[in-house]
Amino acid sequence: MMRCGYGLVALPGTDARLFSPEPSFLRLPRTVHPVRIKFGSFKIRAKIGEARKEVSFYDMLGISEKGTLPEIKQAYKQLARKYHPDVSPPDRVEEYTERFIRVQEAYETLSDPRRKALYDKDLALGLHLAFSARRRYQFDEDLEDQSEWRNRWQSQLSELKRRNMSRDAGGNMSWGARMRRQREELSKQV
Amino acid sequence: MALCSCSFPAIVSCCAAASEPQKSTPFASHLLGGSDLGFHPLLKLNQVKKRPCGVYASLSEGAEYYSSRPATPLLDTINYPIHMKNLSVKELKQLADELRSDVIFNVSKTGGHLGSSLGVVELTVALHYVFNAPRDKILWDVGHQSYPHKILTGRRDKMHTMRQTNGLAGFTKRAESEYDCFGTGHSSTTISAGLGMAVGRDLKGERNNVVAVIGDGAMTAGQAYEAMNNAGYLDSDMIVILNDNKQVSLPTANLDGPVPPVGALSSALSRLQSNRPLRELREVAKGVTKQIGGPMHELAAKVDEYARGMISGSGSTLFEELGLYYIGPVDGHNIDDLVSILKEVKTTKTTGPVLIHVVTEKGRGYPYAERADDKYHGVVKFDPATGKQFKGSSVTQSYTTYFAEALIAEAEADKNIVAIHAAMGGGTGLNLFLRRFPQRCFDVGIAEQHAVTFAAGLACEGLKPFCAIYSSFMQRAYDQVVHDVDLQKLPVRFAMDRAGLVGADGPTHCGAFDVTFMACLPNMVVMAPSDEAELFHMVATAAAIDDRPSCFRYPRGNGIGVQLPPGNKGVPLEIGKGRVLIEGERVALLGYGSAVQSCLAAASLLESHGLQLTVADARFCKPLDHSLIRELAKSHEVLITVEEGSIGGFGSHVAQFLALDGLLDGKVKWRPVVLPDRYIDHGSPADQLAEAGLTPSHIAATVFNVLGQKREALGIMSSRN
Repeated sequence: MMRCGYGLVALPGTDARLFSPEPSFLRLPRTVHPVRIKFGSFKIRAKIGEARKEVSFYDMLGISEKGTLPEIKQAYKQLARKYHPDVSPPDRVEEYTERFIRVQEAYETLSDPRRKALYDKDLALGLHLAFSARRRYQFDEDLEDQSEWRNRWQSQLSELKRRNMSRDAGGNMSWGARMRRQREELSKQV
Repeated sequence: MALCSCSFPAIVSCCAAASEPQKSTPFASHLLGGSDLGFHPLLKLNQVKKRPCGVYASLSEGAEYYSSRPATPLLDTINYPIHMKNLSVKELKQLADELRSDVIFNVSKTGGHLGSSLGVVELTVALHYVFNAPRDKILWDVGHQSYPHKILTGRRDKMHTMRQTNGLAGFTKRAESEYDCFGTGHSSTTISAGLGMAVGRDLKGERNNVVAVIGDGAMTAGQAYEAMNNAGYLDSDMIVILNDNKQVSLPTANLDGPVPPVGALSSALSRLQSNRPLRELREVAKGVTKQIGGPMHELAAKVDEYARGMISGSGSTLFEELGLYYIGPVDGHNIDDLVSILKEVKTTKTTGPVLIHVVTEKGRGYPYAERADDKYHGVVKFDPATGKQFKGSSVTQSYTTYFAEALIAEAEADKNIVAIHAAMGGGTGLNLFLRRFPQRCFDVGIAEQHAVTFAAGLACEGLKPFCAIYSSFMQRAYDQVVHDVDLQKLPVRFAMDRAGLVGADGPTHCGAFDVTFMACLPNMVVMAPSDEAELFHMVATAAAIDDRPSCFRYPRGNGIGVQLPPGNKGVPLEIGKGRVLIEGERVALLGYGSAVQSCLAAASLLESHGLQLTVADARFCKPLDHSLIRELAKSHEVLITVEEGSIGGFGSHVAQFLALDGLLDGKVKWRPVVLPDRYIDHGSPADQLAEAGLTPSHIAATVFNVLGQKREALGIMSSRN
């Protein structure tokens, strides 16, 4: 399993590009308070959770749990054609699109045998934890990692600024400090 | 579509896909191809065009992205970094995408270093946006990742000449552009050079910035630490960017899969990346600092520093201890972050040396590179749509492969044989050895000096170490060869690949000097094979020499097609004995190493002119075959020594012997044919040989000149094609 550059683990069978930190909806405002960011991601997790609470993937696609791959494919195609935003009635675009996405997610999970196995296992335990929700949980965690990184270097930067106030004070006799003082004096004279 | 992708994570793919190539598939065909979600990049659902959010798809759709020049509207407006200054961050992202596709397109046409260049696209854009090259100095360590830099600094129209004769160099080169402020090729030099530039700036009283970009692989070399140590001491303002992509050795994979990074440093760096600092303790420390604060700046600073050291993990303290202010880790593919950090650091007045730890992914943005084990580090021409490289087919294999096979055969017979290389498992062929003998192959990272002394230590214990280091990189370890190996007469064997001219890599990787600096050492046995069969025999000879150090050199390229010894097991040669290949009269060509093949070709050229030359293969430069040389000098009018090396090598040793033996007091005329006293620029091997004057035609012309037949000499030179 190859680890991608910024710490988002690419789960096999998925494409690393899905885990771009760029999407604007998760573009958390740049804030110095770690607390607020955590809250933000909790909100999102909650939203995902509630959106996923009711219906299992099988019910959504309208097939039985023993459905074979061609059945799954057919069900998906039907539903996708019905709910795709391009063909949905204009007054119900939002709802249809949401459905479309869920259908797509259901198909993604159920058509990949490995993910299907995981999903079935979760379902048996009574957890409707969609693979994507699981993945999104991971995604959120990785995103938290990202924001942690961001916080870390932001605080490092502010420290850098702060300590430079006192850096070239009289006591600092490093060669660089001496040269900087010299340069400042010369520029003041000019 | 009215809906913005914002609230629905499942369509994250389309925003992410903005940076990937897309094909405009009609809606229906996406459904049918829906199962192919595991990823052919051409089949992404093209929703981005209609969405108002995220990055506007800047790449043209469809297969045209790959086979013809991609559309790069924004990049077309940028000739120099100054043209970037008015761009918004969003446009910078678009520029990065276009730059990436341009790099892929260019490298697919010329071959070169792809993976590393792709990993630093965003970093390059951010650097040129924030800093003002050429006044601000940006140094690229090794230089193989400088393709985006070259595109942005006025050389985009010459990218199709990359690594070709009279074209752009594959590494940074001062003579090529004022934006290349330091020539690189060997690694780990930029912090030193950057510090030198920073100190020079301070002495002159100027105010520009100095930025040195260095990779985590290059950090395994000692020079980087020497430089950081000095930088911390001098406290001069400079920025070091550590480009960390977890690829510490080359290739970034061995034959069986990705290679885990070598050495303890890498694990320190990965701890840095994954470390979750104890935030609460951090907050407490901050609180304490605040309380102490006020007029007691320095004390507060100290407390904070201790707090940072305690909490930020064992990796950053390494740099902090050396005196560099550590910032990071930072996502190296996020232009927002990069630009804001660089701007902050730039505007801070007195920083001293700062190290920004940037995490990138080698080969990023090109799916085939991302997935490949070796991340497409170095490629030949390839087809961008499929990632397939157009590797030429050849009847014979490379000398590198033959060396590895020879060593394996020797190691089968003798369990004391071990192999050492310095982060070049693929380049030296020792990946093959590693696969066969995993416990007996040592990759020490980019540390040639250590490799040689390490080999010396192994030799002390009775083992038989073979140090496979490129001829050009052996220059880095010369004192260790002299002092640790030769002086003590330890039987370390040096296998110097890439001897002589090396083609597209150019003078930074050219092995011109190894005969000179090896043959002048009192205890060293110096030999060179003229073909691959001889290489097998010389590996066996080196394995057999157990009382003194020995070395042999072989060129880049493929064998000539002679029969290999059975079972790949060579037979040790008699030391100090050459061989005569063609018996002739009047003129003798005494070749050393691969130059023997040029001598044979010259001899056949001259046959049509009625001259029957003697061609001999010296095999050994040290000890010289005295009887052969005496024989040749006494029975011929002209003796020409030919080698693909600089002055002071084989020819000089022969001349020394001739003089001391009194042979120059007679009638024989001796002439050397060596590499000229200048650096030969990169280009195709044939062009380089012609430039250096070592082609068979040149040798034949030399023969005519010495014989006084100037007209024929000119005739040969003008008739060559």
